[in-house]
Amino acid sequence: MNEQSRSFRRAVARRVFAFELNEATHRLESGDKTIQVLLPTGEACSRIFFVGVLLDREETRPDSDFWRVRISDPTGVLRGFVGRFQPDALESLLKIEPPEIVAVVSKIRLFEGERGTLITLRPENIVPVEREVRDYWVVETAKRTLDRIENMRRGGEELVELAWQVYNPDLDSYEERVKEAVKTILDQHSAIEAARKEIEEEEEEQEGEEEKEFEAEEPGEELEIPDLEDLEFEEEEWDLSDILGE
Amino acid sequence: MDRISELTEQIVERFKTSGYDVNSKEIYKRLKLLIDEFKVPEGEAVRTVTNYLMKELDVPREQLVAVESPLTKIAEIKTPGEWISLKARVVQLWDSSSPNVSQVGLIGDETGIIKFVVWSKANKPPVEEGKCYLFANVVTDSFGGRMQVNVNRNSRIEELDEDIQLPPRELEVVGALIAIQQNSGLIRRCRICNRVLTKDVCPIHGKTEAYDDLRIKGVVDDGENYYEVILNEENVRELTGIGIEEAKAIAMENLDRNSVLSELKSRLLGRYYRLKGNRGERYLIVNDIEFLNMDLEKEAGSLLGRFE
Repeated sequence: MNEQSRSFRRAVARRVFAFELNEATHRLESGDKTIQVLLPTGEACSRIFFVGVLLDREETRPDSDFWRVRISDPTGVLRGFVGRFQPDALESLLKIEPPEIVAVVSKIRLFEGERGTLITLRPENIVPVEREVRDYWVVETAKRTLDRIENMRRGGEELVELAWQVYNPDLDSYEERVKEAVKTILDQHSAIEAARKEIEEEEEEQEGEEEKEFEAEEPGEELEIPDLEDLEFEEEEWDLSDILGE
Repeated sequence: MDRISELTEQIVERFKTSGYDVNSKEIYKRLKLLIDEFKVPEGEAVRTVTNYLMKELDVPREQLVAVESPLTKIAEIKTPGEWISLKARVVQLWDSSSPNVSQVGLIGDETGIIKFVVWSKANKPPVEEGKCYLFANVVTDSFGGRMQVNVNRNSRIEELDEDIQLPPRELEVVGALIAIQQNSGLIRRCRICNRVLTKDVCPIHGKTEAYDDLRIKGVVDDGENYYEVILNEENVRELTGIGIEEAKAIAMENLDRNSVLSELKSRLLGRYYRLKGNRGERYLIVNDIEFLNMDLEKEAGSLLGRFE
């Protein structure tokens, strides 16, 4: 009875940055089959909601329908696998051409190997989303992470104490990374907004010339896209170097 | 003091107030065996030991002064099989579907609403909708994955002269839509009872006349809580521009009703929303919903302020 009722309660989808999740190594004993890991900031996590850039998707073996994916946020890269047991995620994954901004709802797996442990994702859903969703996600995740950090500093709770014991995290450096992530997004956002404003102003200037107006029928979209791709590409490069450094 | 000593004391106290002396060492030993060794739930272990003592000392049940279970709030009810007491208002009474159940319905306090069942065997006078009662010594249970409380023979229902507030029925949530469940999209409903048909068959009326409807059953999650939400055709149309007619057109074009669901998933999943809805027992029935529109510079700015 107990187990049954528990399986009906969904696990909440945590908001956590890649760098923090990748540092999680401790599995929590939960009594039933759900896998829970302890985040270094002292919270149990078995599902995440994550918005980042799908860097690549690669079939592990030809025709196996089992895909390895890498998804990045401004702080790092998460690895995951999508197979036939995640039909919704598989269906949408095959339609996506990376790189692309995606929202991911995912269960967590923890591989315990000889060379340490590795967090991987088992996505339930992968959906391409707009840049604004990613921006909001970064702000929201920063907020949640800061809340957890403050909670750690206060101490006392059982999981918080356990996290101190297991990870002894350097909270100042965590804060620094969260801050960097927010700044990155804010700078990009301001750059795009400025570019958009410039375009609008140019348009107004050109309004008299009929020919030009016809040419740029949907000026916002046409001019915005190259901008966006530029910036995303930069982000991808940054993340790759991050991995190589590790 | 450990948990078993606590329980031991409770039992000793209970017999003492009824005028009986019992051996606490003996009780402790029995409880420890049941709970630690045999993993019997606490409530059952206490009951077993109490029953044993009553038989041993030949104490009639009526003479034993009832020990009140701890007063609890509805939101705190999480595990089945616990003895608790509640102060709550009867929100709604349903028709009992079984002769074993004398009353069934919903009760609520300011923290939440929960289903309650009064067993016929409990032999209690009926409660009335809208009135407030103390439900003493009721047992938590889970049925179909939801928590409920059961009123049994040992429970006590007492009308209260208190005004217990119910949680606000309307709720505003900001969160991401992280799942869209089965039976969403372009669905068919039974003309007679409006139930959703599976494979064109109504669970009650079998093969019947049916009509099309558009809705989404999904999960909105804000990172701390999740809400199971239901969006109706109007909500879906406001968000996506796809109403029932457009949905039918999509289904026709692709010769597949499921293509509507795929389209809705790609447009709605993974996005943030601000929504208002009425809380039912399980679902949040959405009245208003919009894509979250955030002033990024302001939010990010105030966030960066937290680092100073």
